[in-house]
Amino acid sequence: MFSFNPQTLKKLRRFREIKRGYYSFLFLAALLVILSFGELLVNSRALIVSYEGQLYFPTYTAFHAGTDFGLDYSYEVNYRELKAHFEREGQDNWILMPLVPYNAYENNSDGGVFKPLPPSVDKQHYLGTDTTSRDILARLFYGTRIALIFSLAFTAWVYLIGISVGCAMGYFGGIFDLVFQRVIEIWSNIPFLYMVIIVFSVIPSSLSVSARIGILLCIMVMFSWTGMTYNMRTETYKEKSRDYVAAARILGASDTRIIFRHILPNVLSTLITFMPFIVVSAISAITALDFLGFGLPPPTPSLGELLKQGTATLRTAPWIVSAAFTTLVVLLTVVTFIGEAVRESFDPKKFTVYR
Amino acid sequence: MTSTNLKGAITGWFAAGITAVLLTACGGDDAESGSAAAQMASHDNTEEVETYYAEHPDFFSFKTIADLPLELNWQNGAGLPEMGSPEAKKGGTEYRALQDFPRTLRTIGPDSNGGFRQFLLDDVAMRLAWRHQDEFDFVPGLAEEWAIGEDGKTIYVRLDPRATYSDGVQVTSDDFLFTFWYYRSPYVTAPWYNNYYSTQYTNITRYDDLTFSITTAAAKPDADSKVLELVPIPQHFYKEVGEDFVDRYQWRAPPTTGAYRVREEDIKKGRSIALTRVKDWWARDKKHYRYRYNADRIHFAIIRDTEKIFEAFRRGDLDQSGLNLADYWYEKLPDSDPDVQAGYIHKSVFYNQRPRPNYGLWINTARPLLDNLDVRLGINYAINWQLVIDKFFRGDYSRLDSARHGFKGFAHPTIKAREFDIEKALEHFTRAGFTQRGPDGILVNEAGERLAFTLSSGYQTLKDVLTILKEEAAKAGLELRIEILDGTAGWKKVQEKQHDIHFSAFGVFLEMYPRFWEHYHSDNAYDDAFLEDGSINPDRQIKTQSNNLETFAVAEMDPLIGRYRAAADKQEMIELSRQMDQIHHDYASFVPGFYQGFYRIGHWRWLRYPEFFNHKHGATAGELFVHWIDPAMKEETLQARKKGESFAPAINVYDQWKD
Repeated sequence: MFSFNPQTLKKLRRFREIKRGYYSFLFLAALLVILSFGELLVNSRALIVSYEGQLYFPTYTAFHAGTDFGLDYSYEVNYRELKAHFEREGQDNWILMPLVPYNAYENNSDGGVFKPLPPSVDKQHYLGTDTTSRDILARLFYGTRIALIFSLAFTAWVYLIGISVGCAMGYFGGIFDLVFQRVIEIWSNIPFLYMVIIVFSVIPSSLSVSARIGILLCIMVMFSWTGMTYNMRTETYKEKSRDYVAAARILGASDTRIIFRHILPNVLSTLITFMPFIVVSAISAITALDFLGFGLPPPTPSLGELLKQGTATLRTAPWIVSAAFTTLVVLLTVVTFIGEAVRESFDPKKFTVYR
Repeated sequence: MTSTNLKGAITGWFAAGITAVLLTACGGDDAESGSAAAQMASHDNTEEVETYYAEHPDFFSFKTIADLPLELNWQNGAGLPEMGSPEAKKGGTEYRALQDFPRTLRTIGPDSNGGFRQFLLDDVAMRLAWRHQDEFDFVPGLAEEWAIGEDGKTIYVRLDPRATYSDGVQVTSDDFLFTFWYYRSPYVTAPWYNNYYSTQYTNITRYDDLTFSITTAAAKPDADSKVLELVPIPQHFYKEVGEDFVDRYQWRAPPTTGAYRVREEDIKKGRSIALTRVKDWWARDKKHYRYRYNADRIHFAIIRDTEKIFEAFRRGDLDQSGLNLADYWYEKLPDSDPDVQAGYIHKSVFYNQRPRPNYGLWINTARPLLDNLDVRLGINYAINWQLVIDKFFRGDYSRLDSARHGFKGFAHPTIKAREFDIEKALEHFTRAGFTQRGPDGILVNEAGERLAFTLSSGYQTLKDVLTILKEEAAKAGLELRIEILDGTAGWKKVQEKQHDIHFSAFGVFLEMYPRFWEHYHSDNAYDDAFLEDGSINPDRQIKTQSNNLETFAVAEMDPLIGRYRAAADKQEMIELSRQMDQIHHDYASFVPGFYQGFYRIGHWRWLRYPEFFNHKHGATAGELFVHWIDPAMKEETLQARKKGESFAPAINVYDQWKD
């Protein structure tokens, strides 16, 4: 049976007491849940189609050609038009569309030219459209999802590598520590942005979008894990010289046991407090890279790409930049609030306040 | 169209964003190299040049004026109409912007192919003669008159005795001899020039100080343009050319025969650069030039961001701004804009006529599946350019019919680009074995292969176009994976023939007839494409580093190209060209895109253009320098703006040359 030790329970209690952080956490958790079922909320595919007495649920299934619903084309049915079509026919067929009936890729110009349209409830473009008439809410929604997943994966990897290397350096010390420190010093002096530009100019294009996102993740992790090692190394050094480690060693505990059972649990509390800030930096980095045009390959929806469009159309379409900017600010603020709360609740001196 | 020039065109504007980043990082080095050049030891290549002439007696001949053939039909084009407007006023300063500080003042060698080169060379430096921009025939420049020899490939030239460089030295025949040494020398580190000046010309003969002849490699209907468009290299200035040419001439402004020169004190690295009108320019009263190159000074501020350039224009810091993109013309400076309505800013559209850059999708036929004609035909029908033109370009642009659009006569008169048609596309894909749609609507064949290709491009600014094409192509069951690269990387990719389908265009110059060999000859597609009997060589290897982006190798095309290249008769070339156009169309390896049949700009009312606005063949509003600055009007406009007074709005469409 898995159970928290009283220390941890105390920390969790304190975290709940810090309202700002706690509610931010609940908000973010809810957001993650909503985002993971995003296809049900923001999608050009219908939730339910009732056609000639039969029910269809196209959201997660294979595509339905127009001919499936009595239309005359073999490509994917346009459910918004199908809905209008059913209403005109006035028979028993009906359709239930998601709240936002657009996906992040389609250029929906309503017969006109492709240009930014201001927010409109009538057309269900609640945040307007971007420069090629794509729905901004849909792009923001899926852009945020990618950014969040990306940053969580990034954090996990940075922690894994940073902790392993840092812990090994601190625990084994000596030549190993000396050599690795130098390696890290050299490594961390390589300019990260240029590396991204260079690597992205040579990777083969035949890779799928998700593979390329993976490569971007790898590059970013490769150049970001070093920061974590410094903290981990000093913490391990400190713990290693404590009596309880010496006691464990005398009792004949192996290195593995000492590291995993004794040292790691004792240094983890410090490391946990960094986590939200790493998430923040990952979101900022991916947004910045997209803004510069070196991030996710087009037409992947992304916050940075929207910001870029927005700055180019500040005068003519202010709703683009304001939507992207607000989302980014909210996201980063929420994560930072959580970070502050975690840090404070893990702080053994109860009455200090994080400033 | 040459690899260098295309590269320039592509990297020129599309890589500007990245180079801007890199440049800031390298600013320190640039500052030092200028002073270093001044400290270099002096060098004199006169002897080396003389020896070179002596070693190549076939190429460099020395005769006397008595040897000049008598039966020459001298012409001088002086009867052609004036260019520019007599109303033009001289004087004033024009303000422009550059995105990137020129990385060198050389016009050859590393980094020389940037956006500033046109102001040092192409648009400014005098040629022997220029094409008249309405009539296409030549008007005299440095040459007073010229004659085409009996062989159809030798051009005799008499220089204008008045022609001088901006430092007062006269232009002589020796400069043209030197020009060939210069372009053929290894010091300039420009292999393309080395090759071009060694293979396209076979002889230069000096008759006297002002008379010479140049022989081109083949008798072609436009052999004269090869000679008359030459620009002399001033021997007295370049006598120090040697091993260290690249560094030595990095920041030295050469004397020019043109109206504008760069003064050393105007080079403010990373910030601004200026052109100054040459005092007592030798051609200032010459017909065709006297009403052009009007501003005394043209100041270029360096502004890296396109949006900022536009904002600077709106503030009045810059005199004019291109408004070719629809969102600039319709949204950012709409007709209803207060500055336009008050008549402070004029908007002008000018329809021009010239060969069009061949924007389109270049399909690499060496790739699996793309070697199937039905797949290519299907792709042609599955690409919805018309939607892009109608909705993205708002109906302003037009559909390109073939890669040779705009070459009057040479392009096939009846070939039309294939229209978007899902049924026809599906029909062709079915014939190629793609009968079923997969779960995502993309076609698959029996082997389970998806009908998916990478669509790459170096045009970051046009990435939305590709997104639209992708969405439409999916309706026909075709998946396009978009890959947007920076300009240089995109160019590298197609040069290595690593692409499936590439969206690109080759810059096309104002010339008489289109080129085929570069793009469609099997020599540029494969090493030994065909066996003796004309069948396909099974062991053939793809040839990289050529402009045959479609890996186009059709056995019947090669002899036609050979005949076309050898033909001296224009009519014969026209027939061959149409025939090849047809073959290329049938092969369906190119999806013709769009062209812009006009250019449009916004300009403050003190920057004035002639009544007729500009000449027929010009590619941009500024390149012929027919505009002028009216300082009094500038003062008046600024005052009026302060007081809130207004003028008659001017939104002008000049469609006298509309297709």
